[in-house]
Amino acid sequence: MTVFLALRDLRRGIRRFVLLGIVVALVALLSTVLSGLASGLVTDGISGLRALPLEHLAFQDGADATFSRSTLRGDAVEAFTAVDGVEATPIGATFVNATSPDGGPSIDIALFGVASDTFLVADDDAAAALDDGEPGLVLDAEMAEDGVEVGDRYVMGGSGVELPVVAFTDIGSYGHAPIAFVPLETWQQVQYGADVDDRFSAVALRGASKADLQRAAGDDIEVLTRTEAYAGSPGYTAETTTMTLIRGFLLVISALVVGAFFTVLTVQRTRQIGLLKAMGAGNGYVARDAVGQMTILVALATGVGVAVGIGIVGALAGTDAPVELDPPSVATVAVLLVASGVIGSLVAIRRITQVEPAIALGVEP
Amino acid sequence: MSDPLVLADIVMSYPDGPSRRVVLDHLDLRLGAGELVVISGESGTGKSTLLTVAGLLRRPDEGEVTVAGTRASGLSERKRTALRRAHIAFVYQSANLLPSLTATEQLQLVGHIRGERVSSTRDRARRLLGDLGLGDRLDQLPHQLSGGERQRVGIGRALMASPDVLIADEPTASLDPRLATSVIDLLADAARDRGIATLVVAHDDGYRRRADRHLHLDAGKLTEVSVAD
Repeated sequence: MTVFLALRDLRRGIRRFVLLGIVVALVALLSTVLSGLASGLVTDGISGLRALPLEHLAFQDGADATFSRSTLRGDAVEAFTAVDGVEATPIGATFVNATSPDGGPSIDIALFGVASDTFLVADDDAAAALDDGEPGLVLDAEMAEDGVEVGDRYVMGGSGVELPVVAFTDIGSYGHAPIAFVPLETWQQVQYGADVDDRFSAVALRGASKADLQRAAGDDIEVLTRTEAYAGSPGYTAETTTMTLIRGFLLVISALVVGAFFTVLTVQRTRQIGLLKAMGAGNGYVARDAVGQMTILVALATGVGVAVGIGIVGALAGTDAPVELDPPSVATVAVLLVASGVIGSLVAIRRITQVEPAIALGVEP
Repeated sequence: MSDPLVLADIVMSYPDGPSRRVVLDHLDLRLGAGELVVISGESGTGKSTLLTVAGLLRRPDEGEVTVAGTRASGLSERKRTALRRAHIAFVYQSANLLPSLTATEQLQLVGHIRGERVSSTRDRARRLLGDLGLGDRLDQLPHQLSGGERQRVGIGRALMASPDVLIADEPTASLDPRLATSVIDLLADAARDRGIATLVVAHDDGYRRRADRHLHLDAGKLTEVSVAD
């Protein structure tokens, strides 16, 4: 055990460390809740895209992964299917405000036009519903919880196309709007009216590497991984950047607080440090003991803060707040907080090394 | 065998305005194993400075300190620390105990600093404290001990290091005469029984009856005082 003195100091003098412990625990709590919020927002923004069984998406060059800026035609699909083992299917995507013709509440949806026989629709019942009879909306199951029922009819804003709800399935959302699958032809009718011209937004791909796909695509088409395509979701980059910045600031604040506290503690313990050195303890021994103490304290406080934060996220998950518990993110937050605390405590190391052992005899430098 | 502590031609000075004030002026001192030497002197004459030099806590401006046969002047700070750890222990005026450690742990800390396993030092620490009359105070924290008990723990901590040289800075200054006598006896017995060269700074006359030599520090020089005086 390398922290003989530190452990006993913590155990028997815990009152001296309560303030720092509370501050670190609060930072950990806030970081955990923010992490939950960030994960929730990301899920709300791209859960549909994340759930689609595709590996890559091809957009018009320069569209920056944004469906509304990308327009491709049928020949783009053919270019990909010519590659061995590649599955390619067109996909159209538009945000639509759908209004109820009989005066019911309107809904905002991300309208995804897909071919009914495509690999994109994994649920057989949903695929069958898209394929049979009158074209209609296959809505994310979450909409059923909001009171929408099969058979309800909605008028697609901007086009006047009226569609019935034909099924529900777990699709997820895109750009914070629930996804609705419709047959590609219907989507083209909503998007382009009579002037369809075999247009759609992007090509969903799987079965080959990005480099091979890009080679097949040529210069006018940009192939992105699914993760890269997240950036095209409205607000995604701004939200993740904001959350990352806030969490970064919290880490810096945590490091500064620990560093400041530890520096004050080191000044208060100058005579004790001198005593240890007079007893033959080297700088390494004293520094290990001190940094070890901070590490234990910060780790404990972080553990408490994260545990409370997880509880709060869990409680919020049952509400409309877009939060989600993502264990890897929470674990990363905890590890980074402890690391930032240790880094913060290192600022006092220089001060420790400068304490002269003669101070133990009351002789000032 | 060489003497445990030898100070030869030591000069130590401090800045004093534009010049420097010499507090140790070509001072020589030699302590043999088991010898108890008491240093007295007026306040500000450099007694504590002498202890810091003898205890390898400070480097002198000039001269050589030899501890257990090893000359310290050419050593790096790390090696001086190792030399101190191996051969020198201190007893302080106010015991200087660590507030979060029990009496036993105060002694175990010495072993821990030397790289010994904590569990392996427990019995020795408790036995030593028992020898010092603290057998029923082993698990008390410093604030639960009396002044005399604290000082005895401080002596136990010094003896735990099995030092060749023990340096004590007015260890009885804050004790009443009865306790002071018992602490003086403890130190003197420890020096003789364990062969420790013991250098004590004290104003207390009680040391004279147990000291082998009594030296007076004045103007940077040590002069012998008859122990019979």
